[in-house]
Amino acid sequence: MKLQGVQQTKWWGVVVFIAAILIFPLVVTQSFFITQATFAGIYAIIAIGLGLLMGYAGQISLGQAAFYGVGAYTTSILTATWGWSPWLSLPIALLVPALLAFFMGYTMSRLSGYYLAMATLALGIIVHGLLVEGKGITMGASGFYGIPQLSLFGMTINQGVPYYFLVWFFVLIVLILSLNIVHSRVGRALRSIHDSEIASSSMGVNTGRYKMQVFILSAAFAGLAGWLFAHMSYSISPSAFTFDASILFLAMVVLGGSGSVWGALIGALLIRMIGITVHTLGEQFSFITSDSEHVIYGLILILVVIFMPKGLFPTVIDWFKNTSIKRVEKKSSVPVTPIERSVSE
Amino acid sequence: MLQVESITKRFGGVVANSDVSFSVDEGQIVGLIGPNGAGKSTMFNMISSIFPPTEGNILFCGKRIDLLPSYKVAPLGISRTFQNLQVFKNMTVIENVMVGQHMRTKQNLSGVASMLLGIAKNERKVYEEAMDILRFFNLELLYDQKASSLSLGKLRLLEFARAYATEPKLLLLDEIAAGLNHSETSEMSELIKRVRDSGVTILVVEHDMDLVMSICDKLVVLDQGMKIAEGAPKEIQANEAVIAAYLGAEIEEEVV
Repeated sequence: MKLQGVQQTKWWGVVVFIAAILIFPLVVTQSFFITQATFAGIYAIIAIGLGLLMGYAGQISLGQAAFYGVGAYTTSILTATWGWSPWLSLPIALLVPALLAFFMGYTMSRLSGYYLAMATLALGIIVHGLLVEGKGITMGASGFYGIPQLSLFGMTINQGVPYYFLVWFFVLIVLILSLNIVHSRVGRALRSIHDSEIASSSMGVNTGRYKMQVFILSAAFAGLAGWLFAHMSYSISPSAFTFDASILFLAMVVLGGSGSVWGALIGALLIRMIGITVHTLGEQFSFITSDSEHVIYGLILILVVIFMPKGLFPTVIDWFKNTSIKRVEKKSSVPVTPIERSVSE
Repeated sequence: MLQVESITKRFGGVVANSDVSFSVDEGQIVGLIGPNGAGKSTMFNMISSIFPPTEGNILFCGKRIDLLPSYKVAPLGISRTFQNLQVFKNMTVIENVMVGQHMRTKQNLSGVASMLLGIAKNERKVYEEAMDILRFFNLELLYDQKASSLSLGKLRLLEFARAYATEPKLLLLDEIAAGLNHSETSEMSELIKRVRDSGVTILVVEHDMDLVMSICDKLVVLDQGMKIAEGAPKEIQANEAVIAAYLGAEIEEEVV
């Protein structure tokens, strides 16, 4: 069902995406890169959620790492301390960050201006502090260990290719859900809020409720990423859920393009690649330290905001569209009317 | 249908409206006119619940609406356009209209599920309806254009179409002809009449006197926040107070 002039999910994009997931481990076999690709997938889930929040609800979260951490620690405590099955703790690892987002959104009922950015910044610091100080439950700064591995049909999902497929399977689900939401009436309502909140609410769109729902969804996605991260490794520590991580997620969305589900995904991949490159160069040149990474992310944020405010993916798509329209115009000087178009389809 | 009862609105020390009362009957086109700063837009914003009045009530079909948030006023059957154009500029023309249909396409749980799976079944119906509305407003050829690429005249039509798509009982048009040329204005007045004939009551704020005089059944004249006259266009044109306050002010403006 093709509706010309309305944003819709392009399924061929999803097909290409699935093919890329399947082909990657055949081409690249070093375990280092498989592990990195698995991490990239975990980050992509968070970036897609944050991209929805920034691009469609027009809100910024500076504390996405907090939801990520809460998800990871929730499942760690439930499985390692209480002995739950990881599959049973999955919904809880989604629910707890979502509830946290709900209460935060509820107290700031309208989620307007930069209040959410400030509040999530504070949340990030509080959650990190609690993870470090709550030694009795979280084992403090040294990290929580003994997290069980996932198993499916009696088979353990080991780190490496099996876990790579598990993570990217979840990325696929998150991607499809997000694309479909964005291209539905809910997505249209969200995009309208972004353009003019006052007109949107005059059309009967409950703008506050939609923004809140997207915020909750982004928190749940981060929780899912936390669950995947926890069960990938034997141990986790609070250092993975700092303010730096939140900024990293922000950089992914800004680079790839907020307001585009694909953009967030691509941004996550690019930022991860830059990280690996810096790391590899650092092994050869002693003056490149791990802090250089943050300098580069900062530079990227500045450059993108100045030269490519829409982000990489939408800019490239616009460029392609413009050049293809020009080509069509060259071919025929007669403008195409919608009637002719619908006949030709 | 709409009763405005002794409305006063103060912004700090500024009195924008002072004890204004009037009513709009079903099937009418009512014009709210007055010189700049008379408080017309303030009154409009209160009727569409952008902000509440300081004193007084606004009743729509017998229900008080002045204390509701604006997204709750729309479902009762009030829709509006904006003087300073609030189209969704990053969306296409047809998508703008489809947002107008938003609240008429409420989703139940199975609707949400089909949305998540990407097979929402009423999308086609909503799309066809939106296309019909575009045809009604002569915008059908522009349906897949980004709203930001439209001319001012088309943007005003799009605002009108989007407001109409909510299927309102009462439509508030805020200076819908501002910035339009002569032929666009006469096209607009024909359109307003056609919308009224389709069963929508209309309240307009307008500076263009030719337009107002030709389409309105009743005029309400504000000056410096107060109502100074109410009646048929013929009566208003002959009203001493209106000529003194309103037309006098306009002549002064032209001299400046």
